[in-house]
Amino acid sequence: MSAPWFTRAVTDESPILSSRVRLARNLRRYPFQQKLNAPNAAAMVQEIQAIGTHFHKMDMQHLSDAEQKVFLEKHIVSPEFLRGKLPRGLMISDDQNLSVMLNEEDHVRIQSVQAGDALPEALLAANQVDDLIEETHEYAFNAEHGYLTACPTNTGTGLRASYMIHLPFLERTDKFKSLLPAITKLGITLRGIYGEGTESMGSIYQISNQTTLGKTEEEIIHALQKTTQQVMEHEAQARDTMLITHRPDQENMIYRAYGVLAYSRKITAKEAMDLLSEIRIGYLYSILDKPKPEKQIYQIMMEIQPGHLQRVAGREMNELERDYARAEYLREIFC
Amino acid sequence: MLCEKCKKNPATVHMQQFVGGSKTEMHLCQECSSIKMDMPISFENIFQGFLTSLQSMTANRPMTSPSAPCARCGMTVEQFKKTGKLGCEACYQAFAKEIEALFKNVQNATRHEGKFPRRMGVDMRVRREADALRKQLKEAVDAENYEDAAHLRDQLRAIQNEAQAETQEAVQ
Repeated sequence: MSAPWFTRAVTDESPILSSRVRLARNLRRYPFQQKLNAPNAAAMVQEIQAIGTHFHKMDMQHLSDAEQKVFLEKHIVSPEFLRGKLPRGLMISDDQNLSVMLNEEDHVRIQSVQAGDALPEALLAANQVDDLIEETHEYAFNAEHGYLTACPTNTGTGLRASYMIHLPFLERTDKFKSLLPAITKLGITLRGIYGEGTESMGSIYQISNQTTLGKTEEEIIHALQKTTQQVMEHEAQARDTMLITHRPDQENMIYRAYGVLAYSRKITAKEAMDLLSEIRIGYLYSILDKPKPEKQIYQIMMEIQPGHLQRVAGREMNELERDYARAEYLREIFC
Repeated sequence: MLCEKCKKNPATVHMQQFVGGSKTEMHLCQECSSIKMDMPISFENIFQGFLTSLQSMTANRPMTSPSAPCARCGMTVEQFKKTGKLGCEACYQAFAKEIEALFKNVQNATRHEGKFPRRMGVDMRVRREADALRKQLKEAVDAENYEDAAHLRDQLRAIQNEAQAETQEAVQ
């Protein structure tokens, strides 16, 4: 099984891990989630699941906690979706690059992920699923406001386009903080992976559009590409400064990171992610003189997440057990 | 006057908030008011902030009453403001006033320019083309380029007539 946000197709050379598109849609026949009752919610799920023959269909209530956690870590489902009380359904393509959440905040949430920098391709795939549903179902839509969503922050295109991006150097500069308000003014937001706040793990951030009205899908994507390009230029400047003027510090941090990953007996996901971020820099700029593991660092970052560790172990583990299991897994790779 | 919150320091910051037609007042010290300001911005805060600013603009005129509950799903303006979520498609008409202002504030735009379902095909295509022509027409008139303006006006009429004919055909 591949891992959509750290997809295997992306290599450690790319600062952009993945491109993601989400379309929010509602069916005209049913009230939105706030006013939807359980029988209608179940009927709605069944109706949409009957459409895509090439999807794996899942009933959220029948998935174990560990399975749900893995989907969450892969960003296939949202925390809100897992917390939902109404009947919910999930549809996933074979390669897991396409998925549909049924009865999240909106009736239909189509998600499409591509490795690396490929937003137009992700949009194309999401649109195909959208068109397929639209062939047999009438969406809530009006000419003035576009696709009508439960929350007015998604009305219009219902599109959220985003990149997962590794920003290890920029993150440490003062410029980073001043960049955030400037980006926000452009209708774009930058935040850490997992969670609502800006805190990141392993210097990985999600950059996405905030506004969904007044622009076409293509214009939204173009604006995001442009802003991301500028962020990456700032990252490159920060990298040059740090690798040239602070080289000994960088080498020290990278080798210390390697030491901990190769020899620790117990490690949290946050610490491991931050150290793996250092290791990626170490290999990429030939600072770390150690054999590079077969797996991409991005892939390892995915596999040390709690749900993945539990799935490999084949059982539920508490936090402490997971920290031991994580350290053991990392030692096997780096020691 | 002492701060209403800590009841220790003198109140130096006086706030008034207008929500749904009712006014609340708050008297706080410098410290407590900065804590209040630092609160994370929730949807409700944005919404209420926008309502306050809207109402202060129209302070001299009688205040417009909030919209009635949605006839289809029963959602009220209060529920919508609290959760930030609408109950059904018809809420967009029921709370048109509130939503329009929210779009201007949060989305910085009010009109959809993107994809549309195929069933809306003719309507949406004509609408977009007519909008583009109207814009060009205005530019031509502003530039006193009357020859182009006349041409654009004819084009606009033509697509409007064409749309009307297609609609009639569809009805028949």
